[in-house]
Amino acid sequence: MTETSARAQPTARTRKPVNLNALLVEGRALVALVVIIAVFAVLSDNYLRPENLIIMTRHVAMNAILAIGMLLVILNGGIDLSVGSTVGLTGVIAGYLLKGYEMPFTALIAYPPVWVVIIVSLAIGSLVGLINGLLVSRLKIAPFIATLGMLYVARGIALLITDGETFTRLSGDPQLGNTGFLTVLASQPLGIPFPIWVMVVFALAFSLVLTRTAFGRWLYATGGNSRAAELSGVPVKKVQTWVYVASGFCAGAVGLLLTADLPAATPQGGSLSELNAIAAVVIGGAALSGGRGTVRGTIIGAFVIGFLVDGLVIIGVSTFWQQVIKGAVIIIAVGIDQVQQMLTARSAIKKAQVKTPLKTPEAVGAGA
Amino acid sequence: MLRALPKVAVVATALVIGLAGCGSSSSDAGSGSSSDGGEGGAGGGTISIISVDQSNPYWKAEVATAESEAKKLGYKTTAADHKNDPSTQNELIDTAISKKVAAIILDPAGADESVGAVKKATDAGIPVLLVNAEISEQGIAKSQIVSNNAQGATVGAQEWVKSVGDAGGEYVELLGAPTDNNATVRSDGYGQIISQFPNLVMVQQETANWDRAEGKSKMETMLSAHPDIIGVVAGNDEMALGAIQALKDAGKLEQVKVLGFDGNQDAVDAVSDGEMVATVLQPIVEGTTEAVKQADEFLKTGKTGASSEKQAIDCVLITQDNAASLDNFVLSE
Amino acid sequence: MNQGDVVLRAVDVSKTYGVTRALKGVNFEVRAGKVTVLFGENGAGKSTLMKILSGVEQPSGGHLVLHGRPVEIRTTNDAVDLGIAIIHQELNLAPNLSVRDNVFIGRELLTRAGTVDRRCEDEITAELMARLEEDIHPSTPVGDLRLGQQQLVEIARALAADARILIMDEPTSALSHSEVQVLFKVVADLTTHGVAIVYISHHLEEAIEIADHAVVFRDGELVAQRDAEGLDMDWVVRSMVGRAAEYDFRDEQREHGDVALSIQDVRVVDTSAGGRLAVDGVSIDVRAGEVVCLYGLMGAGRTELMEALSGRDQVASGRVLLHGVDLKGRSIGERIERGIGLVPEDRQRDGLVQLMSVGANLSLASLLGSIKRLLVSKKAETASIEREIEDVKVKTAGPGAPITSLSGGNQQKVVIGKMLLTDPTVLLLDEPTRGIDVGAKGEIFSLLFREARRGLAVLYVTSEVGEALTASHRIVVMAKGKVVAELDPRTTTRQEIMSASEGTVEASGSTTSSPDSSPIGATS
Repeated sequence: MTETSARAQPTARTRKPVNLNALLVEGRALVALVVIIAVFAVLSDNYLRPENLIIMTRHVAMNAILAIGMLLVILNGGIDLSVGSTVGLTGVIAGYLLKGYEMPFTALIAYPPVWVVIIVSLAIGSLVGLINGLLVSRLKIAPFIATLGMLYVARGIALLITDGETFTRLSGDPQLGNTGFLTVLASQPLGIPFPIWVMVVFALAFSLVLTRTAFGRWLYATGGNSRAAELSGVPVKKVQTWVYVASGFCAGAVGLLLTADLPAATPQGGSLSELNAIAAVVIGGAALSGGRGTVRGTIIGAFVIGFLVDGLVIIGVSTFWQQVIKGAVIIIAVGIDQVQQMLTARSAIKKAQVKTPLKTPEAVGAGA
Repeated sequence: MLRALPKVAVVATALVIGLAGCGSSSSDAGSGSSSDGGEGGAGGGTISIISVDQSNPYWKAEVATAESEAKKLGYKTTAADHKNDPSTQNELIDTAISKKVAAIILDPAGADESVGAVKKATDAGIPVLLVNAEISEQGIAKSQIVSNNAQGATVGAQEWVKSVGDAGGEYVELLGAPTDNNATVRSDGYGQIISQFPNLVMVQQETANWDRAEGKSKMETMLSAHPDIIGVVAGNDEMALGAIQALKDAGKLEQVKVLGFDGNQDAVDAVSDGEMVATVLQPIVEGTTEAVKQADEFLKTGKTGASSEKQAIDCVLITQDNAASLDNFVLSE
Repeated sequence: MNQGDVVLRAVDVSKTYGVTRALKGVNFEVRAGKVTVLFGENGAGKSTLMKILSGVEQPSGGHLVLHGRPVEIRTTNDAVDLGIAIIHQELNLAPNLSVRDNVFIGRELLTRAGTVDRRCEDEITAELMARLEEDIHPSTPVGDLRLGQQQLVEIARALAADARILIMDEPTSALSHSEVQVLFKVVADLTTHGVAIVYISHHLEEAIEIADHAVVFRDGELVAQRDAEGLDMDWVVRSMVGRAAEYDFRDEQREHGDVALSIQDVRVVDTSAGGRLAVDGVSIDVRAGEVVCLYGLMGAGRTELMEALSGRDQVASGRVLLHGVDLKGRSIGERIERGIGLVPEDRQRDGLVQLMSVGANLSLASLLGSIKRLLVSKKAETASIEREIEDVKVKTAGPGAPITSLSGGNQQKVVIGKMLLTDPTVLLLDEPTRGIDVGAKGEIFSLLFREARRGLAVLYVTSEVGEALTASHRIVVMAKGKVVAELDPRTTTRQEIMSASEGTVEASGSTTSSPDSSPIGATS
């Protein structure tokens, strides 16, 4: 969308289809990505091998899908800390349904077909998001707190369901008609792993939602200035609720993909992944205050993190340094944005500065 | 209610148990005491079990064993996880102290970090018995029952070396959480054996924090860097299972031999299927059972009955030969 | 009185933001013991110059001379150290802290032990309050005070700094007439003690009254200045716009249609002030094609009424009928759909999404009208945006230009255009000309009257008497939550409107002097 800083913007006639500042902000993440790829390509011959690129992209995909959901929440000026737990919860739900569950009040064990498993899991993810959304929009609980609470609740429920176990019987049984979970979700259509396809579809779909639907516009408006949006008739509370539902839905999708990838449904799945998602969104140029950010930027941000982390493993940097470097890159990437804005402003001032020597004027009435 | 309970055993202990009982349902405590009354002990009261992370099958087995053993002996139990976080462990110990539990079975979060917490409970008159891992000081805990990780790593590594054969080659290692003592002990154990074979070269070491998903993604990336490895040694089964899945996806499981540690059920199944070379069963069930028994003994007699505070129980190597006879950490013979 | 010594002088000062030149080589003097008043439209450069004098901004060119020596004022603390204090247009108070804490914030008085000397601070605060003739206890939380009182706290803070040069940027916007008079007394007192005052106000009459010396800014330049002698409204307005303000809609036709909006005995609770009634039984009818001006001081309940009509705040009792249909329980969106929308008072806070383009702001309220198969049709949207830019005469580089690149007047036209795009039958506007230059004011009123001729019912709020007189079919005066008078702009006077707005007895008596109007809810 349109993003600008009032100062750096020329006031007069710049009839440009693409906003220069938007390009710079996204460009920064892109530059970081190019630098990362270049550095690791030099340090390791294996880095740019197609198989490795595919593996790294698959790692990126999980985070990117989460980050897209997170982007919506952040555009709204909120934050969703519960996505990691939601990943664990939905994965466990899928595992629970696939291994067959005892119907209450009967001695029967139900084996729902895979499509039901997928729909139920996504619905549970969305439900977690819906609860978040209602807590935030209706009860006016600060997003940080509402989703922090949900982080614990969802993880706890995942542990309750599994009783701490890991579900590994996920391939299903042809006789029970519940096969296909792994063959679909862990498949590689055209040689590209399924999660990457999901990332592409989500990116395109959410891009469309953000740029071409009324909902998208309303989201940017509420994030930019919710009071103005409200007075313009935008259903501010609905928008706020739905972004959390979308985030929960994305987390549900990742929960399924992660479970199929392992293949095992573990209750601790997705731990701390909310932080990676937030980092991707922020590196992608979004403002935590809301109203600014794009799907494209977010995807690039996810690639920056993923390619960096995997690159460090490939060249064999010590585990401890990996953490330090990852954190530093997040700070630097976002810091460059600030410095860049300051420099643009300063150079504009310099350019326009009228050269007036500091001459002492004729004696003025000294002191009063 | 509990005031009417048998006035046996040490006065101090009775007081502790009595107060603890107040917070719980009396019928349970009563039945406990009556069923164990014949053994002449001060049955009843609560044993607090503080473990690491019950979402991991290994620790889940630890807690389950302690719970069932304690119930058998007439105690009530509470269980909690400290997730390897010393401050959480500290809080859990505080809670246990304020609840005046009869005894604490603790799987400590770090050898040095846990000394203070154990001392605090001991000072409060609550016996603490350590399982699975030790602390760096003696004379505070009543007993420290650990599985002999070093010995386990040795037998595991020996089996793994046997299976990779004499040809030699490159291998990688997946480490547990860097702050966990056992991660270091196991890694050192592996190293001691494997370093005797100069044709086996470790090309990379990565931590996967005991986690299966992280084990898988780290393995995938390491495979890109070192496509020709012939083996993986992992600090625990979860990471090993993650690595196996990564190798399966890459079609390299045939060429790469994987070693696990812990003996959890998924890993044992993998050993049965020939996907994993071997795993090392930590006698967690045995050790925990022993800890609860000694706690009971101590509450009754003031002595654990063991000859020394530190007691190491040897680990058992699980290979395709004996995998079938293992069920949830219990080796049936 | 003599001219007073020049204490502070700006020499050739210029200021550039990006490519915008906000100040173009201004020479400006501040004299001890004198009130120097700055006139100028918004964006003329007054506030920029004040920011430079008070250390908020650095000049891009030129320099400052204080007491005959060149100085650099890098921070606001520098300015305070040099004896320069500023009362900002926007309140900079911490509502959770007490009056005392706000007065001394950032330069707390300390005891020898290093703790805050509350007793001493309390004494000084109490003295200041007495001087401002306000009965406010130093430990009252600022959040509990009326807006006007809060503004006085802001003024007290500047006084406490014991400045030799005091800059007042719109200090009276929230004050009542009597409070303004007290402030002027304080100002007079300060000047006799040799304090130099720099005074900015959009309230021209007020500013003329207090000025010793007047300076007029236009487009970043100082274009005219003169002493108090011969200073009048006409001169000021002519200097400000380069021509006199020319709008007068008193002779507009007044053949109005049916009642479009009927406000019946509406009460609104002010939730921020402990359940006080902000609007207390107001009844007003607005007919199709009629432009009704709602005049009143700040705090009279005008904004609360408007927000309740828009659907943002709840109506506690009474009814609001739009073409005979009760709006009770309708959301803002539903009301807009039915044809009633609000152009809010605070453009930046409530009117615009600053991160969005001109076009996206314009289409925000009417986006659903451009939906084709779930997606926003770029073609339909662009067409309506361009039509509206043309229609309300927004001066912009194009629909894609950032909204922040527009001047205040053009931004306001965008906010109005946004509501007009929803095809309203009733348009509510809260202070539509606030912070807008005289030229743009005329354009905005022309626009409103044009729409009124097409049948739009307009109800707008103003605190400028001149506007009420020249740009309305009917004036409704509010004071303390009630309608106190309904006046005909053709027959009433400035004096009558202003005294009515004070809510005094003679005001309610004067309502009868306007034969044309039939007071509906005029009481008390």
